[in-house]
Amino acid sequence: MTFRTCLRAGAAALALAAGGAANAEVTVLGWPGGPEEAALRAVTELYNAKADLAEENKVELLFTSRDGFFDKLQVDLAAGSTAFDINLIATYSIGRYAPFMEPVTLSDQAGAVFGDTVLKTMQFDGQQYGVPTDLSLHFLYYRTDLIDALLADDAAKAKYSEIAMKHLGKALEPKAPADWTWEDFVANALYFTQSINPESPTRYGTVIQAKNLLFNMMVFHSWPRSYGGNWMDDTGAITVDSEAFRTALSQAKMLFDLGATPPDSTSYEYAEANAAYASGQVAAMVQWNAAAGELTAAQAATGTTAPPAGPDGRFTHIHGLGLGLNKAAENKDGAIAFLQWLSTEEAALAYAKAGGAPGLASETAAKLVADRPDLVQVGEYASTYGFVMNGGTSENALSVYEAQAKEFTGYWAGTQDLDTALKNTAAAMTDLLK
Amino acid sequence: MTPGRSVENALLAGPLVLFLLAVLGFPTVLSLVYGFSETGFQTLTAPQFSGLKNFRDATADPTFWQAAWFSLRFGAITALLQCGLGLALAVYLAPLARAHGWTVAILIIPMIVAPAMMGLMYRLVLHEFAGPVPHYLYSWFGWSPSFLGPANVFKTVVVAETLQWTPFAFLLFLTACQSIPQDLREAAAVDGTRPWRLFWKIELPLMMPTVFVALFIRFIDGFRVFDNIYTLVGAGPGGSTTSISIYIYESFLRRGEIGKALAAAILLFATAFVLLSVAQRLLRGRAP
Repeated sequence: MTFRTCLRAGAAALALAAGGAANAEVTVLGWPGGPEEAALRAVTELYNAKADLAEENKVELLFTSRDGFFDKLQVDLAAGSTAFDINLIATYSIGRYAPFMEPVTLSDQAGAVFGDTVLKTMQFDGQQYGVPTDLSLHFLYYRTDLIDALLADDAAKAKYSEIAMKHLGKALEPKAPADWTWEDFVANALYFTQSINPESPTRYGTVIQAKNLLFNMMVFHSWPRSYGGNWMDDTGAITVDSEAFRTALSQAKMLFDLGATPPDSTSYEYAEANAAYASGQVAAMVQWNAAAGELTAAQAATGTTAPPAGPDGRFTHIHGLGLGLNKAAENKDGAIAFLQWLSTEEAALAYAKAGGAPGLASETAAKLVADRPDLVQVGEYASTYGFVMNGGTSENALSVYEAQAKEFTGYWAGTQDLDTALKNTAAAMTDLLK
Repeated sequence: MTPGRSVENALLAGPLVLFLLAVLGFPTVLSLVYGFSETGFQTLTAPQFSGLKNFRDATADPTFWQAAWFSLRFGAITALLQCGLGLALAVYLAPLARAHGWTVAILIIPMIVAPAMMGLMYRLVLHEFAGPVPHYLYSWFGWSPSFLGPANVFKTVVVAETLQWTPFAFLLFLTACQSIPQDLREAAAVDGTRPWRLFWKIELPLMMPTVFVALFIRFIDGFRVFDNIYTLVGAGPGGSTTSISIYIYESFLRRGEIGKALAAAILLFATAFVLLSVAQRLLRGRAP
């Protein structure tokens, strides 16, 4: 290649880059990797292909790494970055980012497309800060082959009741997972643990991802919530030091102490817990809905249902990922237009078909039965069992999860007792949510 | 020095000084400002002077002391292990390294891997269901220790750090060992000195300044450990693997306590500075 050719190639590249920049005036900072990125790319392509869309309002996507994403985003927003007009938000971080963002008005269709429960995952102080693009909640995953065998074997049932009597003080009988309470979940976990029941086909009855990490607290929260637990009462008083949290934490601790969850699981997060279940050495687990594909691919005999129930009913933590408007955006009109379109049925269906996981109202989800039957289940669980703790979208919600993760994992790992863990958590939450 | 040379020196050093002021000076000044201010992400541009409040908050936080104790233990234990192993390897392998230089390149491979990558690698290698180490232990013995469980996690991170950085100590000691004049060893051999006595009475005393420097460098490196532990086990259950650097990171970005985090960083810097000064003084005292 001659020097002149190199120059020409360089000039062409520069022209392309300049042209690209001129054509993309609304920059969206999305959630990188995974189905969220693929879905956002698909709907952006659809939007940019619209004939009546002005050149200066076309959308360009920007992706960074997932590692430390929210930390980097926080610094960017606080610094008034204009590198993006629209940015990712999550239910638990809206309060923290709200000072650097602007509320948005969604399309008239938004209420019918998503439903109120899902729209609320993107609200803070009564205002809508984003379009909910992906909904996360929890499923109870269980091995249907193991449960079927247990339910069909009288000797196994007797052994199950014996183990439940010994450790829980109640001669519980095996049930179908859709009818489980958390006590049944514990009894099942103990029965399928080889150190307790040497005839168990699996090494562990369950796997609890208990790394000192805020996301793991979200997975745990369905447990105390079903016993009536909440972060705060209606007067704003912190209620974490309650019988509900004590019961749930103690039941989980029993599983750690008796070896019903892998001993290393105090260092597990999403990927490690999935690997444990996928290995075939775990009988049941509560995990994010996003893991459905991975877990059922690894263990074909896998059933899913909502997390177990407690005295107050059956619950699942829900939170949404969404896209909202950067206060420092340079093209606000273009950004608002894209966000409004994103909240229409056309965009939501396209997003879902491209692999995203929007929380859709039942009528909208019904249009996707053939393509995405899992979204019907997600939508149903979100509206029936979904909850957000009081204060779960506040400015310091992330820090509350962090404080709980530190204290609760310390209790499970045996570095502190339950009273200390709850006292420290209540003190931290009082400070953070005052 | 003539006045002409002095001006010339100032001119030549000027760009470097300006560069260092920009690269190191600005963040240092900013850290000092925020360390003595009430600051959050919403008030980054308008910090309010708060005196020593952040330092009081940091030192009143039990997690800060837990992290400091972890860093101290981790730094001291890993430094001793790395230097002990590095010294033994250097003395034992010195003849081999002299004859076949390429063996050194193989021995220092762990040092080349980024610490964060090393943490991720151990996360995979030690996983009970996906990692090869527990897999083979289960296959051969029907049992595997819980490497990352609460009882063993400290030992595991110490071993991981030691395996990665012993080559650094080894390199220093090998250089020191090879710089000892050969005629000293020959003279000792002529006098009938046995190998152990040769090492203890001649080689080790001559290598002591290097041992001291290596211990100090490895301690400082261990004390401020962050990436490999953070990627392997995070802050640990109940904060059990929270080093002082992890404490600063989490306070700053996770809890938004910018002033407190920077106050802790300033304390870390001050501690390192004092240790460095003491070490230099000691080294100077030992110099012939």
